[in-house]
Amino acid sequence: MNYDRPELLDRLAAEYVFGTMSARVRRRFQKIQRALPAAQQAVHVWEQRLTPLAQSVPPAQPSAAAWAAIDRRTGGQASRPVAPASAWFAWLKPALGVAFGVLATLGLIRLYPTAVVPVDQIVQQRGTLPESYVGLLTDAANNPVVLASSTRYGRTMSIKILRKVDVPPGKVLQLWALPKEGAAFPLGVVPSEGKGSFQMADTSEKLLSSVPRLAVSVEDAPARAGTAPAPYLLTGNCVKLW
Amino acid sequence: MIASADLQQLLARVALGDRVAFRQLYDATAPSLFGVALRIVRQRDRAEEVLQDAFVNAWNRAAGYQAALSQPMTWLTAIVRNRALDELRSGARHRAESLEDQRSGTAPVHEDERANPLKLLEQAADALAIRDCLDTIDGPQRQCLALVYYHGLSHSEVAGHVGSPIGSVKVWLRRGLEKLKRCLELLA
Repeated sequence: MNYDRPELLDRLAAEYVFGTMSARVRRRFQKIQRALPAAQQAVHVWEQRLTPLAQSVPPAQPSAAAWAAIDRRTGGQASRPVAPASAWFAWLKPALGVAFGVLATLGLIRLYPTAVVPVDQIVQQRGTLPESYVGLLTDAANNPVVLASSTRYGRTMSIKILRKVDVPPGKVLQLWALPKEGAAFPLGVVPSEGKGSFQMADTSEKLLSSVPRLAVSVEDAPARAGTAPAPYLLTGNCVKLW
Repeated sequence: MIASADLQQLLARVALGDRVAFRQLYDATAPSLFGVALRIVRQRDRAEEVLQDAFVNAWNRAAGYQAALSQPMTWLTAIVRNRALDELRSGARHRAESLEDQRSGTAPVHEDERANPLKLLEQAADALAIRDCLDTIDGPQRQCLALVYYHGLSHSEVAGHVGSPIGSVKVWLRRGLEKLKRCLELLA
């Protein structure tokens, strides 16, 4: 083929970017791209043209393992400033008392304040609230009932019940995350009064970054992932506190 | 959605080996990119492999990113789509496994993640204000363009889908793509 012909390159680039080429033809055209700047340029033009069409695809949340693998493959095991606080704290805990003592504790407090110091102390010290996800759920009459909060890279969801909820005997109050796209997924069980907390399956950042709403339903038992919720008793916005 | 200028800043820092920026870039873009990959390869674990390869690629190539030539999301989406299409085309075996898994439920891909591709094309056209132009493309042709772009169907799969010879489908899709190109050029 004469790859000097711009119209041929344009047609091949269109098929490459659009996705109709077979594996064999794709590989061949990838070689041509490496050798021929004009082919690269033609592909670039088609990528610019077609990529806006991808914007309508609903997002989906990859598992936490995906980032862990990327981090590992790019040599970033020690990317401490963004690693989940709880994992590092668990690793460092035995060492704290023995080797690093006060020094390491101070370092940790600076890096991951919410892992080692109660939130209210940090707030007083810094004068600002830590990066967190916060949900305020209201009932049908718009009364605030449940306050749910969790630090951005933490896994603990803290619950404060602002108004006692009547739960039939043997039933539980299930908290759900309602993502922008896709089905609601269970976060954990909340108490009917007072305060409580539960461990989530992953960090707030992973679970809640694209969750604009939370809801509570009355269930027979704690809901498992993939099950459909009963009608919602309480709903509310979930916001990022930073 | 994070602003394009912010993503450019992050990419510039990633090019300098800034891992915090890399993580922020991932957090801001991975769900959209994973959605794109998931639609094409149809299986979550394979889509995660695609996503991993794409981000490793982005980390290695960030220094070559030229803000003047493309938007960060365009650049990243192109990397993901290319990798996903390579993965999909790398063997019909995976396709068969994937469909089998969907039936047996071992690796379910939610129905909402597999929404009608034509609807996606129409939504994109609405967002880009080229819907009128898109509607001038023949209905079945539009449907096939959407199946190819969003689900990565090959010529032979489209031929099977519409029950026409592969040669006719090639010509038909090429003409459809020409029309789509004219619509998208209205954006420029």
